[in-house]
Amino acid sequence: MSLTIRRFIPQTIVSIILIIMIIFYYFYINKSVSDAFTTWDKALSDWAVIITSFTLIIGGIDLLRYHLVQIKKIGVKQLPFSGTTIALEIIMVIFALIGLYYSYVYPKLGITITTQPQFTWLFTYLYAPTDSAVYSILLFYIASASYRAFIARNPMATLLLITAIVIMLGNTSLGNLIWPGFLPLRDWIMTVPNTAAFRPITMGVGFGTIILGLRLIMWREVSWLGRRE
Amino acid sequence: MKISIGVLIVILIILIISLGSVAAWFAKIQLYNSARPISSFVFLIFLMLAGYLSINHVREGGEIRVREIPAFSAIEEGVTRSVEMGRPIHMTIGFGSIAGSMAPQYIAGLGVLSHVARLAGKYGARLIATLGVPEVIASVEEIVKEGYASGGRPELFDPVYNVRYLTDQQFAYASAVQAIIVRERVGANIVVGPFYAESLIFMEAGNMVGAFQVAGTARETQIPFFVLAADYAFIGEEIFAAGAMASGDKESLASIQGQDVGKLATIILIVLGILFLAFGINISSWLNWVWKLG
Repeated sequence: MSLTIRRFIPQTIVSIILIIMIIFYYFYINKSVSDAFTTWDKALSDWAVIITSFTLIIGGIDLLRYHLVQIKKIGVKQLPFSGTTIALEIIMVIFALIGLYYSYVYPKLGITITTQPQFTWLFTYLYAPTDSAVYSILLFYIASASYRAFIARNPMATLLLITAIVIMLGNTSLGNLIWPGFLPLRDWIMTVPNTAAFRPITMGVGFGTIILGLRLIMWREVSWLGRRE
Repeated sequence: MKISIGVLIVILIILIISLGSVAAWFAKIQLYNSARPISSFVFLIFLMLAGYLSINHVREGGEIRVREIPAFSAIEEGVTRSVEMGRPIHMTIGFGSIAGSMAPQYIAGLGVLSHVARLAGKYGARLIATLGVPEVIASVEEIVKEGYASGGRPELFDPVYNVRYLTDQQFAYASAVQAIIVRERVGANIVVGPFYAESLIFMEAGNMVGAFQVAGTARETQIPFFVLAADYAFIGEEIFAAGAMASGDKESLASIQGQDVGKLATIILIVLGILFLAFGINISSWLNWVWKLG
């Protein structure tokens, strides 16, 4: 691919869009111009959705390629793992085809890919519970990470430990029974020192994003394009 | 005294904006969006010009000193440690879609990935880049391939092993990454990008296998998890600075000074705000001023 396609065109598009976005955000634009740009903006958003959908297909193929290679390399031992993924990918394609069939051949039924009863069943009774189960693992991880973090090794770690105890007691009914002051103390910690620590980070992120935008406009940020000059 | 072209450009931009605004005000033209305070536009232009001047200074042969970020230097330590232990390195930039407000963090993550890939090439390490952002599969493959090539070992690049797209669903992605970290027994776990509840899952999985962990995000709610669980953490905007450092480009690096100028200006504004408030003057009402005619 030539340098024009690899570098010049994407960087030009990004620079122009960034400048247009700054203009639209800060300057007054009269209604007719604004309406025209809204149409373009919607078209661009639609393109983004379509491109994302196609990249998901690439992702599916990538996943399939990985598992086929694994089966070829490792053999039968790999089948329970890779076989499941491949089977699920085949099911995904079957559901997509059935959904497309119904939505185009019998549009009056109002059945699409995601409203098929079998798909809804799989989503509600298989996907959602497993998703929640993985999320709940977080509870144990928070406990184990807290155990390591709250060991009073030095004055700062001790301060962290004390603060954590106050917050935990402030969040439970037991804390209120021990001492009613835990709740207001927790609120004070969360609204004063905690907010004071968070706001500079938020501001710093804003500055970092602006400077990243400047680098993109000036064509100095090239990592996302893959290859260096 | 010699004035550089860059400084002249900055003076010209400031003159155009200020004179244009004054003229529009007297001509009663609604120049700015009345829903946004003018101060935010002034601050944006100020930051961009500060960044531009720093870049220009380096472009004209000047030297610029940028503070060191320990987490960035630690990446090389993680890579070499993995090589010594004969274990692979794991790196992820997160999951989701790049078409959103998290895009800058994905871009910063890609910058760090290019650095990790280059180091992997230099030391002959095995790199596993997992991802849940389908739009960047091609970019990540290209970045890793180029990293191995520029590190002097293009033959080590294997797209099937090195780049693994998993899914764009949060917990499916989290469990897959967790499984890879544990099953492959990674020596280093590098996690930079926008992360949500899965951040601690990655950190604890890395901890289970004794991996050297470097993590960073600009999402405030996840920073504490990374600070607690990782060996080194990029805090907030440091991930953007890391992206610039990873590029190895002096001009990109110089732009970081713009961030620091912004921080300095904010500190000055906060101190001034407190002092003025002591005298009963509330400058935040000035900062919220909007351009509204009539």
